[in-house]
Amino acid sequence: MSAFTVEDLFRIMRECAGEEEAADLSSAAAEQEFALLGYDSLALMEAISRVERGYGVELPEELLGEALTPAAFVDAVNAVLAGHPAPLEAAG
Amino acid sequence: MTPAPSPPVALLLPGQGSQHQRMAAGLYGHEPVFTAAMDAFFDAAGPEGVALREDWLAERPVTELDHVTRSQPLLFAVDHALGKLVLSWGVRPAALLGHSIGELAAAVLAGVFGLRDATGLVLDRVRRLAGAPPGGMLAVAASRAEVTPYLSGDVVVGAVNAPRQTVLAGPDGPLDKVGRTLREAGFVCRRVPSLSAFHSPVLEPACRGAAERFAAVDRRVPSLPVHSAYTAAPLTRSDIDDVSFWARQPVAPVLFWPALEGLLATGDHLLVEVGPGQGLSQVARRHPAVRRGTSAVVSLLPARPGPPEADRAAVDAAVARVAAAGHPIVRTPVPHDLPQRPATAV
Repeated sequence: MSAFTVEDLFRIMRECAGEEEAADLSSAAAEQEFALLGYDSLALMEAISRVERGYGVELPEELLGEALTPAAFVDAVNAVLAGHPAPLEAAG
Repeated sequence: MTPAPSPPVALLLPGQGSQHQRMAAGLYGHEPVFTAAMDAFFDAAGPEGVALREDWLAERPVTELDHVTRSQPLLFAVDHALGKLVLSWGVRPAALLGHSIGELAAAVLAGVFGLRDATGLVLDRVRRLAGAPPGGMLAVAASRAEVTPYLSGDVVVGAVNAPRQTVLAGPDGPLDKVGRTLREAGFVCRRVPSLSAFHSPVLEPACRGAAERFAAVDRRVPSLPVHSAYTAAPLTRSDIDDVSFWARQPVAPVLFWPALEGLLATGDHLLVEVGPGQGLSQVARRHPAVRRGTSAVVSLLPARPGPPEADRAAVDAAVARVAAAGHPIVRTPVPHDLPQRPATAV
């Protein structure tokens, strides 16, 4: 089982967006590009920062330019978590 | 049963921060209407038009594109020329919404100002702003309320782009200090490409005297509704008559998200971004009406700078999407020997 799921990422993306946007991300959104979901580089940088803090990991800088979809982002985070000595529990 | 009517088109015109080298240059000499509108601008700019055109098309501009004397006139010109291109397709927008300098381009498309007058006003503005103290802009992934406690030393909210995308503006030193404090508090920040503190009081002294220039030109009631990002409401007669409303635009904050909410509160729209990049498209995709799919977003140009062919492919794709959304499009055929420098204005 993956340590970090698409649902985890969507929860974080909703936190980044704020209530007014009320982001309702369907499962199909996992394969859509962040740009088409309205997540520009600033919003993605915030999502990365929240994952780093919540999961106690350091994500590579290339993530921003290379993980273009939520699914790719989740895979990249899991790859880092798998290589991480002791992944912390999600801090919520 | 008749099919559901297609939502009307609204044009979004981006401003400071969206400029990049050779923005939309792939369309120059290929899209006749766009080319003629750019040449009309360079012609209206007089002797400065030559240097503006050279720097726009250059791989290595003499004056960098982020400098106020390049970013503002060229964004104005490119937004306006792309707007003219869309209008030439037979699309009649129900509304226009510009960000920052994009609002002036929208005002020209709606007939408030003539292109020649507006070009003179933009050049007057940048001459004034070029002498302003150095400053910049910082985008923060936070709401206006979240950042407000951190503001100090002439640093203000310059733009509200989305509920959690707020842009600060101010003089370099104080802006860096506020940025450091915000980062330490856990906020994510990114510099906006700008060498001036747009939409902040830093530019106030430089804008003095600009009102007289606005007073000296003809202003007409818009032929299309222009939603102002300064009032978050459609332009009124009194806005148009008020020269300080126009003269103070570089100082006043841009309320893009509230203006977008106002526009979409009037009904669903097909939002077409006419300008470099896809910054406003990305913000608009965060609006609930776009998320639920009743409103949609189309960008005329690629998200990132690329080769000239990418500009043309993006326009072709946009044409297909606007047509598929129920707006018949008639394109001006490209002549075989389109001159690089047409002599006449549109």
